[in-house]
Amino acid sequence: MKVFSSICTFDYSWDEVSTANWRKYCPWNDKATHVVGVDTISRVIDSKTGILRTERLITCNQSVPQWVLSLFGGSATSHVYEVSYVDPAAKKVTMCSTNLTWSNVLNVRETVVYQPSTISPSTSTQFEQEAKITALCGGWQKIKNKVEEASVERFRENAKRGREGFETVLEMSRRVFGEQRDLENIRLQS
Amino acid sequence: MAASIAPECNEVKEKYDTCFLKWYSEKYLRGNTKSTDCDELFAKYKTCLQKSLKEKGLDTMLDEARKSGSETDAEFLKKS
Repeated sequence: MKVFSSICTFDYSWDEVSTANWRKYCPWNDKATHVVGVDTISRVIDSKTGILRTERLITCNQSVPQWVLSLFGGSATSHVYEVSYVDPAAKKVTMCSTNLTWSNVLNVRETVVYQPSTISPSTSTQFEQEAKITALCGGWQKIKNKVEEASVERFRENAKRGREGFETVLEMSRRVFGEQRDLENIRLQS
Repeated sequence: MAASIAPECNEVKEKYDTCFLKWYSEKYLRGNTKSTDCDELFAKYKTCLQKSLKEKGLDTMLDEARKSGSETDAEFLKKS
């Protein structure tokens, strides 16, 4: 098993980040064009804790090398199952995802947490990401290591793109929310 | 908002997503966790989606993932 982890901070409040997070893969995010579908499968509020639990199916069209496709079969379309938990009282979003496609070859478990940053909790949000990658293909350890290393490298590249793309979504969200507020104020005044 | 895996569900999904986002930012995050503004739209979207998931064989894949993912509920569905 290999572990990839990263931490970064977004200069937006937790409320803004946790809202924009729902449209992380919208057309504003030009760095996530490989995500072709985001479907909500279930959504409930836990009556005891008030925690919002959401299940989503995320569909990607990855650019997979042809040799991988011919080796493992299947298509370039892959699916990810994501369960997320929003605790509005603790101001914490946790998202856990796992791959549905090629799950007999590779197991990728990612956990992402958004929380107010410790330095300026009201204006910035900390993002923590950890992925555990395990190659399951039987046989040589050497090959498993190679597969895991390549996957971690892929994760590192995607994490950087993901951050850049989400920054754009945050900026657009703030602008659009601002415009909506202005419109409502004008309407109220007239 | 991102598209649905089932193009025939896109219209109702779009309506639901818009409703949810408004509810999330204006009610849920402000402590109103009891309101059910978008339930009707979600039910419609779900009905549409389930059909497509079944056709694509994704419903069984999801069921399996759900089983192995139940430990995250124990960890994150409690008061922190």
